[in-house]
Amino acid sequence: MTTNSYLIKEGYDNLNKHGSKTISTMLIICATMLILGIFIIILQNVNSNVETLRLEQGLQAFIDDNATDEDIAYMEDEIKLIEGVSEIEYMDKNEAYEDAKNQFKNQEYFLDGLEQLDIFPASFIVKFTNIEEAERIKADTEKIDGIYKVKYNADTIDAVISISKIANGFLLGVGIVLLVVSIFIISNTIKLAVYSNKREIFIMRYIGATNGFIVKPFIVEGAIMGIVSALISFIIISIVYVYIYVSLNTSYALGVFKFIPYSTIWYQILLAYIVLGLFIGIFGSAISLKKYLKV
Amino acid sequence: MIEFINVTKKYDHDVCAMDNVNLKINKGEFAFLVGPSGSGKSTFLKLMIKEEEPTSGKILIDGKDITKIKKKDVPFLRRKIGFVFQDFRLLYDRTVEENIIFALRIIEASEREIKAQLKAVLQMVGLTGKEKYYPNQLSGGEQQRVALARALATKPPILIADEPTGNLDPKTAEEIFKTLLEINARGTTILVVTHAKDIVNELSKRVIALDHGKVVKDDAKGVY
Ligand SMILES: Nc1ncnc2c1ncn2[C@@H]1O[C@H](COP(=O)(O)OP(=O)(O)OP(=O)(O)O)[C@@H](O)[C@H]1O
Ligand SMILES: [Mg+2]
Repeated sequence: MTTNSYLIKEGYDNLNKHGSKTISTMLIICATMLILGIFIIILQNVNSNVETLRLEQGLQAFIDDNATDEDIAYMEDEIKLIEGVSEIEYMDKNEAYEDAKNQFKNQEYFLDGLEQLDIFPASFIVKFTNIEEAERIKADTEKIDGIYKVKYNADTIDAVISISKIANGFLLGVGIVLLVVSIFIISNTIKLAVYSNKREIFIMRYIGATNGFIVKPFIVEGAIMGIVSALISFIIISIVYVYIYVSLNTSYALGVFKFIPYSTIWYQILLAYIVLGLFIGIFGSAISLKKYLKV
Repeated sequence: MIEFINVTKKYDHDVCAMDNVNLKINKGEFAFLVGPSGSGKSTFLKLMIKEEEPTSGKILIDGKDITKIKKKDVPFLRRKIGFVFQDFRLLYDRTVEENIIFALRIIEASEREIKAQLKAVLQMVGLTGKEKYYPNQLSGGEQQRVALARALATKPPILIADEPTGNLDPKTAEEIFKTLLEINARGTTILVVTHAKDIVNELSKRVIALDHGKVVKDDAKGVY
């Protein structure tokens, strides 16, 4: 057994000595991780859906009311010349009205009498191949004479984004509070371990133990709690996600919203958890050691 | 090996536990440190291992002024000095063997060294065969031998003991001192604080007497 493996074993033994305290500490860490995991999942899903929706639906470029047919033909040519544009489609005022009617399905009475008011502007629907180029294409389209406004052609996007912003803000807030609580609790657990090993530490100092040697088992103890919590949280969130994915993605309950497959995010979650677990564990124990061992 | 030069130690405010002490203990010596309660004997030992800092003066261990060494080097100073306490300071949830290995782990000894040293020190203190006993299964004298073995395991050139037989009956005490003499005969410099008058007189070794923090007597073949 090398010195290091001996110190790791000491750290592990400490964990066993305070079983129930260890478990309750890990529960809090797991809660923190699950909340932050949900945060990551929502963020990734929204981003991915926004991207596919944007790509599928394209941009809508609104045309000045006083544009002539010639002007419109000229604009269409200009837009076609923009790099990355794959498709362009003209929508006149009547079609715009029909489109609006479609969007207000079953509530068409909203639109009664609006047809005559001529409030739906003609527009181009501009599609493109690469979502990364969307912003540039949007900016280039806006520069064309006769186009007064360009927006992403999906109202659902805005709704999804604003809801997810609220949800994520809330989750992030709760997550940060739990993170602080986790660090506090783990440092408290380590404090307990330091106290129960006081006699041993006292003797170690007489024999000539370096600070590093005294501290390592406690750091290991914190790190093990962090890593184990990370793995438990990862397993829980993986099972839940896959379950939700299978049961919701096949139904139409969510409309156009599609969950991204777990295979594209599991490693992000696992990595985030391990980094977070090590951070909570090591930082939490370091605080305690600094305070109670004066190292 | 151990040298105090004009060492004064004042604890908070006026308690003067060490009053301008000048003293030299050579390599391989065996010395007793005696004196009434409160005369500064424990303080002397604590200054040697930097558990306390002198108010003024120099302390040389192995030729090095330890008042100048950095905090992070203190462990390495302590590895040169084995310390034995009156109350043994054993780990009661570990066996004899584990108590000794505990010290060897601290100095990051290799597996081979651990095995060899364990055997050597057990033999030196006469505990061979008791490896698997827990301290509570041993007599007081045996427990002190475990502490002695633990202090020696790291091969310190100096061994200091603060009333090592204070909790033991005279006969057991005598046996412990016999073991200490054997350890000294192998080259370890030893300084023992003790109130065991009869034994000090009988052994006729160097006796340093302190009173009120001053060296009041220092005889090569002294008496208590
Ligand atoms: N940590 C401390 N703070 C303040 N005063 C102290 C401290 N340690 C010791 N003293 C004082 O210093 C003096 C010397 O104490 P020391 O412990 O060195 O005596 P000693 O010779 O070992 O006594 P004993 O034989 O009773 O163990 C005493 O007056 C004691 O009260
Ligand atoms: Mg004393």
